[in-house]
Amino acid sequence: MSSTLAGAYLAPLIEHFKNTPGVQFNEKNHARTGFLSEAVIPESSIRDTAKKFLSHEFFLETLTAVDFAECFELAYCFNHWKECSRCVVKVVIPKSQETATSIHDIYAGANWLEREIHDMYGLKFTNHPNLKRLLLPENSRIHPLLKNFKGEVSGSDVKQVGQLIEDYKDGYETGYAEDIPKHPDEYVINLGPQHPSTHGVLRVLLKLKGERVLSGAPVIGYAHRNHEKMAEVQEYKAFWPNVGRLDYVGAMSYNLGYAALIERAMGIEAPERTQYIRVLLTELNRVASHLLWLGTYLLDLGLFTPFFYCFDDRERILDILEHVTGERLTYDYFRFGGLQRDMPDEIVVRKAGEFIAPFKKRLKDYHDLLTRNVIFQKRTQHVGVMTKETAMGYGVTGPSLRACGIPMDLRRHEPYSIYERLDFEIPTEGGGDAYARYLIRMREMAESIKIIEQIITRIPQGEYQQAKIPRNVPKGEYYFAVEAARGSFGMYLVSDGSPQPYKIKLRTPSFANLSSLPVMSQGCFVADMISILGSIDIVMPEVDR
Amino acid sequence: MILPFWLQETLKAVLIGTAVLFFITVNALFLVWMERKVSAKIQLRRGPLYVGPMGLLQTLADAVKLISKELTTPRHSNRFLFVLAPLVVFAPLIGSFLVLPLGENIIIKDLNIGLLLVFAMANIAFLGIFTGGWSSNNKYSALGAMRSVAQNISYEIPLLLSVMGVVLIVGSLKMSAIVEVQSNVWFIFLQPMAFLIFLCAMLGETNRAPFDIPEAESELVAGYHTEYSGFRFALFFLAEYTNVFIGSALAATLFFGGWRGPLLPGPVWFILKTYALVFVVMWIRWTFPRLRSDQLMSLAWKVLIPFALINILATAFVLSAASAGP
Repeated sequence: MSSTLAGAYLAPLIEHFKNTPGVQFNEKNHARTGFLSEAVIPESSIRDTAKKFLSHEFFLETLTAVDFAECFELAYCFNHWKECSRCVVKVVIPKSQETATSIHDIYAGANWLEREIHDMYGLKFTNHPNLKRLLLPENSRIHPLLKNFKGEVSGSDVKQVGQLIEDYKDGYETGYAEDIPKHPDEYVINLGPQHPSTHGVLRVLLKLKGERVLSGAPVIGYAHRNHEKMAEVQEYKAFWPNVGRLDYVGAMSYNLGYAALIERAMGIEAPERTQYIRVLLTELNRVASHLLWLGTYLLDLGLFTPFFYCFDDRERILDILEHVTGERLTYDYFRFGGLQRDMPDEIVVRKAGEFIAPFKKRLKDYHDLLTRNVIFQKRTQHVGVMTKETAMGYGVTGPSLRACGIPMDLRRHEPYSIYERLDFEIPTEGGGDAYARYLIRMREMAESIKIIEQIITRIPQGEYQQAKIPRNVPKGEYYFAVEAARGSFGMYLVSDGSPQPYKIKLRTPSFANLSSLPVMSQGCFVADMISILGSIDIVMPEVDR
Repeated sequence: MILPFWLQETLKAVLIGTAVLFFITVNALFLVWMERKVSAKIQLRRGPLYVGPMGLLQTLADAVKLISKELTTPRHSNRFLFVLAPLVVFAPLIGSFLVLPLGENIIIKDLNIGLLLVFAMANIAFLGIFTGGWSSNNKYSALGAMRSVAQNISYEIPLLLSVMGVVLIVGSLKMSAIVEVQSNVWFIFLQPMAFLIFLCAMLGETNRAPFDIPEAESELVAGYHTEYSGFRFALFFLAEYTNVFIGSALAATLFFGGWRGPLLPGPVWFILKTYALVFVVMWIRWTFPRLRSDQLMSLAWKVLIPFALINILATAFVLSAASAGP
């Protein structure tokens, strides 16, 4: 684990914090906690601080609240795209106050994050333009992430949930009154939640004029299960199955993220062999995820055939992963300091070899059939253009960010596991449109194959499980981020030293990526809307958690 | 026993009508099977296998299932138009079969305006699509209907213009005459550009991929026939495949010498050529993504129509030069 991060971009801000009265500032050990620094600032100065971070080109990685006995703590994680400079800024809100200041106009991505906090904790944000519930139904009366929400069958909170079902007995009016258009030419259409091209249960409220999209607002929460609450009421190891069910298409990265987070917090390190196996499986899973994206995206564009080719290739990867983990989709294979069981080397190496050679040929076929296909280009070029500034403002990560020309990939940006020792490139494109995102993913598949080839020749023998695992996680705050197939997956853990996490915030890439949809879809056609939605590659269970 | 003239004619009409209907149904069932087999071959699959030899009866089983399903009508739809629409889409197709020349003298009615009749009939069908989409009282259906009207208007023009070159050479709209002139050389060699334009416009007219935007399932759920079920849906389905057949048959007649060919009898050649073209249409469907509606329009107005006009001018010029020559 590298700890030689200089934090040059953070220096002016540290200077600022040190010179401001009323700010408590601490340096942090990045290797132990995932943060370079921490600042506790008064609630009134959050807007100025956010502006300061924005002026130094930082982006808002995540924003969450923690419910302590006497106060709420808002934790803003800022990071820089050029170099890992993660800084957590904390604001303490007394329980009696219940209001905080919104920064949605500084960081557009905060809009949804603040709504989520409002939904889960009941906090109100002043000056927020649309402070409605995000994940739970609109007329819920519960705030499930509050510590006094127990979820016991006999408790009053569960009775409230029962009441909610009673309220919706006769169905309820979808859409908002203010969204009903006044002009006779305009009309509203609900794209989803049951629609063939929304990749799960997403609803987009489209306001149309003819075929022209005037505005498209995503409505989410249909696959909400509240994994964060589940984490709080269980022991650390009981959360394993949940991790594989966030992004079911690329679950290995999430396994890796959770394992690495707890290992960082416990101060242990997985054996060498385990590290190699983890990266191998993660990269295989990344290729599988991109293949699934390619197939379904082309399906969205009305092209059926590649779907079957992509699934044929993906099938071979799933076979390998099944041999190793026993599961085909929602993997639950990594453990703290090791793996669930050892990997059968010969079978995997042979099967991976059998997969790679034909796949390289297939990848060339895809390029030949699509990359210069006129219709494909027409449907994707200049469609859903995202500027660098928009991407930064919304905290967009992953291929969508790299398609805007920002070479941020956590495997290089904040190297973890054995990625430092591997030879691969971070592809970037300048267009920022759907076509650029396509090219990025195609090149990423080739890079992942390169990584897999490097690993299978040199998996070391030896132990796969760290013998001694502490039972508890020491008190403190920890952050770990990995590059999942869709972007940066981060976990913010607050531990009170007990066998259960006090709070886990899941920073899922699709959540931030989807929140930028209204900007990308402004003024496009209905057909483009589908193309844009497909090109950002969202997985709804991950957005809704 | 000699029947009175009117009875003879009525009997003839009924018999021919029944035969055409029978052919349409069997043909559509076969084409659906063929489409499934062709797409399966293209997509690393095997297609229907178990019902009948090579899965041939699978589509029949599907048709029986479809017919036995409940006919639903959306609550706020215009019921009369909703029921009428599939019939309006389907009925004109029978008219087109009147003038298709299956072989030498094997043609139901060799009208003077044969070619025009086929286009006229194809246009009526669009009225049905529009009524169907509109009366469903569903926004997706309405969008599909809107798209289909725009598409029909745009693609009708290049379709007609592209065959004008052929008509200029032949000097007649009579189908038998068109085949007759091609006894020496097929029009595909004289009018290659016209054929390409015709193929494009035909795909647009028949709502086939990559021009299937009125029913683009990834955008509009199922477009204009979203609300249709059971037999009414089957009528739309039948119409689609019959349209593909008629379009291909027309292309075979106009550009590939119709029923002419060595050794085999005329109708066999006609069917072979038509199915070969149907295969090309299917091949295109499973290879290309869908265009967007505005791109579709610009293709029609900015590419197909100008080139079709150039083709007519060039043909007319060459013809007049040839006739005025020594």
